[in-house]
Amino acid sequence: MADEPAGPGTIQLRRSVGVATATATSAGLAFAAIDYLGVVSIMAYAPGASGWLAILIGAGLVFLVAGIFSELNGLYPTAAGIRLYLGRALGNRTALTVTFTYMTTVVLVIAADAFLIGAAIRHVLHEPTALAYVWIVVLLVVATVANLRGVVLAGWVQTVVTYTVLASTVVISIVAIFHVGGAFTTPLNLFGNGGFSGIQAIAFALFLFAAFEWVTTTAEEARTPKVITRALFLAPVAIWIVSTLFLLALSHLVPFSVLHNSAYPQLLLGKAAMGTIGEIWMLAITILTALNTFNGGFLVSSRFIYAAAREGNLPRGFARLNLQAVPWMAVVTLAGVSAVLAAVIFATKQWLLLVAVGATLEAGIYALASVSLLILRRKETRERPFQLLLGKPLAVVGAILFTVFALATGFADPKNTKHLSLAPIGVIAVLALISVLYVRLYVPRLHAQAAARAAASARPKRRPPRPSTPPSDDTGDPTVSPMEP
Amino acid sequence: MATYDEIDEALVDYTESCNTNERLRKMQRDWSRTLHFVCSDTDDTFTMEVVSGEITGTPKGHVGVPDIVVTTDSETFCDMFWGDLNPVAKYLRGEIKVKGSQEDVMRLDAISYVIWPDA
Repeated sequence: MADEPAGPGTIQLRRSVGVATATATSAGLAFAAIDYLGVVSIMAYAPGASGWLAILIGAGLVFLVAGIFSELNGLYPTAAGIRLYLGRALGNRTALTVTFTYMTTVVLVIAADAFLIGAAIRHVLHEPTALAYVWIVVLLVVATVANLRGVVLAGWVQTVVTYTVLASTVVISIVAIFHVGGAFTTPLNLFGNGGFSGIQAIAFALFLFAAFEWVTTTAEEARTPKVITRALFLAPVAIWIVSTLFLLALSHLVPFSVLHNSAYPQLLLGKAAMGTIGEIWMLAITILTALNTFNGGFLVSSRFIYAAAREGNLPRGFARLNLQAVPWMAVVTLAGVSAVLAAVIFATKQWLLLVAVGATLEAGIYALASVSLLILRRKETRERPFQLLLGKPLAVVGAILFTVFALATGFADPKNTKHLSLAPIGVIAVLALISVLYVRLYVPRLHAQAAARAAASARPKRRPPRPSTPPSDDTGDPTVSPMEP
Repeated sequence: MATYDEIDEALVDYTESCNTNERLRKMQRDWSRTLHFVCSDTDDTFTMEVVSGEITGTPKGHVGVPDIVVTTDSETFCDMFWGDLNPVAKYLRGEIKVKGSQEDVMRLDAISYVIWPDA
């Protein structure tokens, strides 16, 4: 895949991200171990092999999301993009509240992956159930120490890891699909369990692509703005192919009754398709997914926490850096919260609830992004590097559809698909309430404390005053910065 | 609008503050980068060479291939290099634009934070 050269006048960076790396980043952020459970959640609502239709429709909708994020990223090509466009569209407080809630998905995914990988290792090594939590803690400690020491996966390692995970899942799935003895049932009956179940299956399919849009945080490294746009469209295609094959393989070879109570469907598929070799292969792949999740998840969240603390929206301690220039308190807090969450999942066995919470949050973010696009079409009339064709009507459609999907998963009970549950929406409501209260009540206190500190220290400006010059008619007082109020 | 001489004066002070800060030197010991700066209002440009955490030069114009490109107005550059403003707030408002890896963007801010934690 050749990257186009930058245009004339564009300053080229020594190291910049091209389409292949950006696509791998996007797909790697989206395709975590929890996605294997996401496929099982789709199968819970779509009978037999019909889940492939849900994934196809989900991929189509994600193309709309890719178009929306491409336009927003073009307007604000920065790591802080989501804060900027949500802030410009919905106001700063709302943007901060949404971003805090959104970042909890990262913690949920880190915790879920730690749990799933720990459970998978314990299963393959035939260890007692309790040892799974020991593996979870070991994984989180290794990830935390690596982060604190400033170890960051090189871009090419991340690319190799992502493509290895995707290719291996495809190979095992194809072997399983052509395995003698299985059968595809009801491949076209997506709404066989009822109309609402079909909608829930599509909503869970959206979750398979969750976090693919985080590649926009690498916009500042991209060779050209089009690199991110292309990655946003290519990564969903890769995930669609892999997830569809994995679902077809599972429905072909592994009974759903076995899958439904398992935290490691990929191991069951590996074993069914290729025996012990397949099981160990899928375990290795599961562990590889952790490299991307822990590397990307810790990095994205801890840097977000650092920036929020530097901005004065989190306590100053979160901006403290160690000698490797890593915000250590942010990393340690993330690891601690993830360990507690993983323990809760371990004790309650509610891993499918996490999938439902993640799916709801992601669909909610897509709905908000659609609304932001609508508002910014009116507020920001400047030219964009990418403009979504029929953007306004499509954004209206997106806002409605993704709200429906958020509600469909928000009230889902993947353990018992015949019933509705308040658990996913309840978890999100609590998270959102904490965010709202924090932003409304605590952030103003932090700002007041910062102002009091500044007044107490009363540090004079270091910049020497300019020698007085006669005021000019067109610029006014030359000592006043045009940027500062 | 700040003149290039004003920015240069700020850069001299910034360089001294960075190079004499032991903690910062230790923190940035594995950080060698070429930074390009662009003043969006005056079209002035300058370069900063960092070798193992030490600022070795801040020549006028763009020298070499950059790892990071920072663009903002001349006044902001001046205030930033004098340690009179917190660059993160401006970055998050989109008033400072940076091209480069997230890690480098954070390192860049970390310099200001270590030298002037109260800014």
